[in-house]
Amino acid sequence: MIYLDNAATSFPKPEGVYRAMDAFARNSLANPGRAGHRLAVAAKDTLEDARFRLSRFVGGVGADRVAFALNGTDALNMAMKGTLQPGDHVVTTDLEHNSVSRPLVKLADDGIITLTRVPSDSGGTVDPDAIRAALTAKTRLVAVTHASNVLGTVQPVAEIGKLCREKGILFLVDAAQTIGVLPIDVQAMHIDLLAFPGHKGLFGPTGTGGLYVAPGVPIRAWREGGTGGDSKSPMQPAGFPEFLEGGTPNLLGIVGMIAGLDYVEEKGIEAIHRHEVELCERLRAAVADNPLIVPVGHADPARRVGTFSFRCEVMDSEALAGVLDTSFGICVRAGNHCSPYIHQAVGSYDDGLTRVSPGPFSTIEHIDTLANALTEITGG
Amino acid sequence: MTTPASLERYSRQMRVPGIGKAGQERIMASRVTLCGVGALGTVLANTLVRAGVGFVRVVDRDFVEPSNLQRQVLFDESDVTGNLPKAEAAAVKLRQINSTVEVEPVVADINRTNIEGLCDGADLILDGTDNFEVRYLINDVSIKHNKPWVYGGAVGTEGMSMTILPGETPCLQCVFEKSPGPGEVGTCETAGVLAPIVSVIASFQAAEALKILAGKKEAVNRELFCINLWDNTTRWVKIAKLAGRKGHCPCCAKRSFEWLDGEHGTQTTSLCGRNAVQVTPRGGTKLDLNELKKQLEASGSVTANKFLLKFTTTDAGNGYEFTVFPDGRAIIKGTDDTDRARTLYAKYVGH
Repeated sequence: MIYLDNAATSFPKPEGVYRAMDAFARNSLANPGRAGHRLAVAAKDTLEDARFRLSRFVGGVGADRVAFALNGTDALNMAMKGTLQPGDHVVTTDLEHNSVSRPLVKLADDGIITLTRVPSDSGGTVDPDAIRAALTAKTRLVAVTHASNVLGTVQPVAEIGKLCREKGILFLVDAAQTIGVLPIDVQAMHIDLLAFPGHKGLFGPTGTGGLYVAPGVPIRAWREGGTGGDSKSPMQPAGFPEFLEGGTPNLLGIVGMIAGLDYVEEKGIEAIHRHEVELCERLRAAVADNPLIVPVGHADPARRVGTFSFRCEVMDSEALAGVLDTSFGICVRAGNHCSPYIHQAVGSYDDGLTRVSPGPFSTIEHIDTLANALTEITGG
Repeated sequence: MTTPASLERYSRQMRVPGIGKAGQERIMASRVTLCGVGALGTVLANTLVRAGVGFVRVVDRDFVEPSNLQRQVLFDESDVTGNLPKAEAAAVKLRQINSTVEVEPVVADINRTNIEGLCDGADLILDGTDNFEVRYLINDVSIKHNKPWVYGGAVGTEGMSMTILPGETPCLQCVFEKSPGPGEVGTCETAGVLAPIVSVIASFQAAEALKILAGKKEAVNRELFCINLWDNTTRWVKIAKLAGRKGHCPCCAKRSFEWLDGEHGTQTTSLCGRNAVQVTPRGGTKLDLNELKKQLEASGSVTANKFLLKFTTTDAGNGYEFTVFPDGRAIIKGTDDTDRARTLYAKYVGH
């Protein structure tokens, strides 16, 4: 089996992730902050250390700015539903995943906000000037993905962040495809809200994620419940970030995510990024002479993550992915990738695209096997 | 001897020595779950309701289609025009036939999550399906909850039936250890079916049902009955010695209910925004795409290579495109309804 669907979730995980979760589950899996006994205190320590590690990793100002979430989608919902108010205007792009689009479209459909969706250029990059042009006096939030989950194209978030900061507009970045792969500095990039999953580039298990909230960002709790401390308060307590985290956190998953972060920091995000992009470029070169394989998105590897999508003129994407799995044992993702707007923009709404996303454990041999399979399938 | 008016309509049935007044009263106090009300199921329902079975629950996920009318005896053209669910259309007819019988129609896909509830309270389960997955589920429920059931199947001009009395006879899995894989046996869509074979098999099943409900288990058939109406052949296969398969039958000997536990059968995935459903047989299988191509040629346009088979067809007025892979999985375009996709898969690819 060859797994090339790391943009959906990374697999396999680094060995250290499995080991850390196994050891923690056996020895230390208490409810953090819900009691004073030694195991609960140790669990709380683990959780606080995880906040610190994540804040440091994204250039944040401190551990207490990181709230844990169930996944990237949960973090995005926390960010958008926690900050938007009736009458607000929001600017987003046509590159967004449904995790950004659907909450915003629902809010707009309910008449709570107005929404402007800025199209990307033909290569799959959003122009900061187009964002600037879409801003109005009522714009409260700009929500942009750091890299397209379909095209793999990296967006100029630092420039967009700068112009948002100048105008006092909140800037939300969806780092689903970039955390652990591209450097993120929330302060330098003027990111107010950074939503990220734990199970992709951070190599944690599914069910993990987080939201970095810059100091001074007014945010309401999107879900309420037990937070450990302040049990007598009838309302959600104000302590940040716990007040965003009603309910027992996925501590075991968080331990796995931090073990994954250990791996990322040890290996270095540059090395991981380079490896994944080089594998995609190897595939691009292998299919370059095949007129039946048509890649989408610009071809500048310096502005890409390790995600390569293409149209196959012989069959639709679901059929191709089915053939790759059943006849060649290769797992890739077909269809619309939960991002319908960019598929409309690149003309692949009906037949979808086939997406190849290698990870650090993918090899040249994997890519060559895939390239040969594509040649055989397309009759080469 | 005088007969109360309520029993008068059953006078001919009661005159059958094996039934009598006592048997009739038992029949009228009994409850049956009928899984599937298509070809076999309409004959079964018709017979049981006329016979006065107290309560009949008819379960089917499908809608009445023109090609059903050749053999599915409870339906007529107005049911097709009305695009009625088979269970609902059957219930209307059955209540007209015998208003003293309580008929409960259930429009549902029978699967491991609901079958125990659907069979709850039933004295007997009847197989009117065209689907081996459901048959093995019925078998699991039968053994687990100690309820008899009667298997029946018909395709082309041949059919077979056997009766399962938990603890007394072999169960389905004793006789057929594995379900046929996708494409291994024809379906009524691909191989056709002669209406009389359906009536013969379902009538045989119905007779077995009445024996059981009347409390006459000693009269029940203990063999596997096979008949081909075209070749004029019948076979009675002795299966008694297969009971429990020397203690190794997973179902009736080991009481491991693999179908209810979800170890077999198919799973479905709605494909992200594609108006398509992927149906995947659990555990994988090996499908001969060229053989399947031959089976499907009469039903639509079909092409195959070593990687996949493409089949387009019109079913009940809707167009569908199947992409079938060598491991048995299929992407069915034209619906995002997983129940509909299961039906289409069972019809064209197999059970």
